[in-house]
Amino acid sequence: MAVEMHPNRSIVDALGADLRARAHGARRGVYLYFRCLGQQMKAIMAYETDFIVLLLSAVLVQLAGFAVIWAIFQRIPSVNGWTFWQVVMMYALIFVTEGVGSLFFEGTWRLSSLVYTGQFDQMLLRPVSPIVQVLAGAVGFNGLGNLVTGFVLIGIAVTNVPVEWTPGRLLMLAILIVSASVIRVAINLASAASTFWIRSPWSMVPMFVHRLGDFAKYPITIYSYAVQALIVVAVPFAFVSFFPTAWVFGVDAWSLPGLLTPLVAIYAVLMSVWLFRVGLRRYESSGH
Amino acid sequence: MPPLIEAHGLTKKFRQAVKEPGLAGALKHFFVRQYRDKLAVDHIDLAIEPGESVAYLGPNGAGKSTTIKMLTGILVPSSGSLIVNGLVPYEKRQRNARNIGVVFGQRTQLWWDIPVVESFNLARDMYEIPADRYKKNLGEFTEMLGLAEFMNVPAAKISLGQRMRADLCMALLHDPRILYLDEPTIGLDIAVKDSIRKFVRARVEEYGTTVMLTTHDLGDIEDICRRIVIIDNGKIIHDGDLATLKDTYARDRVIHFQLARPAESMAAICQKLPACEVASDGLRLSVRFDRFEHAAGEIAGAVMPLVEVIDFRIDEPEVEDLIRRVYLGQLSLAPGDEPELRSAKPAVVAEA
Repeated sequence: MAVEMHPNRSIVDALGADLRARAHGARRGVYLYFRCLGQQMKAIMAYETDFIVLLLSAVLVQLAGFAVIWAIFQRIPSVNGWTFWQVVMMYALIFVTEGVGSLFFEGTWRLSSLVYTGQFDQMLLRPVSPIVQVLAGAVGFNGLGNLVTGFVLIGIAVTNVPVEWTPGRLLMLAILIVSASVIRVAINLASAASTFWIRSPWSMVPMFVHRLGDFAKYPITIYSYAVQALIVVAVPFAFVSFFPTAWVFGVDAWSLPGLLTPLVAIYAVLMSVWLFRVGLRRYESSGH
Repeated sequence: MPPLIEAHGLTKKFRQAVKEPGLAGALKHFFVRQYRDKLAVDHIDLAIEPGESVAYLGPNGAGKSTTIKMLTGILVPSSGSLIVNGLVPYEKRQRNARNIGVVFGQRTQLWWDIPVVESFNLARDMYEIPADRYKKNLGEFTEMLGLAEFMNVPAAKISLGQRMRADLCMALLHDPRILYLDEPTIGLDIAVKDSIRKFVRARVEEYGTTVMLTTHDLGDIEDICRRIVIIDNGKIIHDGDLATLKDTYARDRVIHFQLARPAESMAAICQKLPACEVASDGLRLSVRFDRFEHAAGEIAGAVMPLVEVIDFRIDEPEVEDLIRRVYLGQLSLAPGDEPELRSAKPAVVAEA
């Protein structure tokens, strides 16, 4: 009777239950991600010498990063009308997102060897999303260097922006950095998923895609339309560095797409998850 | 009630690249791709009831592991239908994972670099095992499998036998309904094999856990399984219980007599036992007979008056021997032409 009196009640209830289940699933995924990552951290610290060497190398990479920037701007004070600090900002965003990718999501780089050797099997036998397990599969301490370098450079760059920093603008800056990192990790995951098609232990696709990111260290206006299309549409690295920088510095012609960065991040995540799932169906394990 | 595991026409095809040897072959493959399909599992039908313990046997490359990988949800079948505990495994991988425990002898489920107990704790969180049940299970398994001595050692530093016991523990912490064991005793010493078999048997008997086991070790089968499914070239060539297999194919027994003096007249013995195969070698005398034709006592009764017997023993054929003959194609076990249990001739070897 109740159903007849409120014909939509059951649908609403079902939708509510579904949403609650999804929210629970998401919370659980995040919790297990950090739980697994924590174990990886412990594992690395268990080998003390390795850990110290890793930290040292992270510092060295960081210093090398500074040296590269400095050297470049000794020669090129302005690129195609873009100022020194604007380019520093682009560089820094590439560094920061690379750092986030290595430090917290290094697992994407391990996927091809897991798939090739069949060790990926284990991830399919646990009641946890394989994507969560892949992302939390490793910690790359070398990312620490990129992360620190990147944030220092962002800090310096934004003090040279000729606008006033309101709380709203600061919040938007934070959102842009997070979105840029999400796009980077999504690109890493999607390119790692290529291993389901290529099935080689040393797939070059992730490295190739990663190198495309180097284009985005400079304003995209210096490139041909083909390259622009590549890093704006196909592999949206331009939204990792160029467009957010344009918004931060208030470059009118390009700042509007900068605001779209969070939407691009959502799009990138959906695409990479979809690619991963399609690829997963092709997974053939090893040694049948 | 439907079976716990039900497969119809389950098939898995792999595409293999055909490459000619050498650099030239590799180059040629780069431009002209050639592939051939390999049928790893070829339209198999399988139904396993709750609580059954099934040995899934076959020579290397027969399709055992591929079947297990489809049942566990790792591989997507090329065709056919498959339902495990009400779910299609590859569609509902995560839900299916909660119902099953898997041990691959060749590969560990433990996290390599962290202490064994941390792997267990991680499993607890992944499977959302309630704290009290986790404590109870872990305590029980630690006791039964003797895990205490290496609980705090990273998996990378424990022995193979310890690793297998730890793996078995982890596979069962969440009380799965189904346990898949893929060569669980490979490379282990007798003592460890024994403790693993005991443990699995206890799960089957006390909790009604359904077990599917692939192995090359016949001891595993006799200790754990009631039913035997044999696969060869991707096709199931035998499906029946162990006792029937033995009754059908392992009918002959051999009595070995140790004599005080060499037998005087072999002819007399042979005459008394026309359906048997008698062999002698000095002070040893053996009689091979069909146990459905003669009782062991009959044979002994016939032989004893003619010679002076010091000692005797009876040999049963090894299951191992049976299975080997099946693999070699000496026994035809194709479904459809199942031989009668009481065939006329004691000779059961249908030469291929």
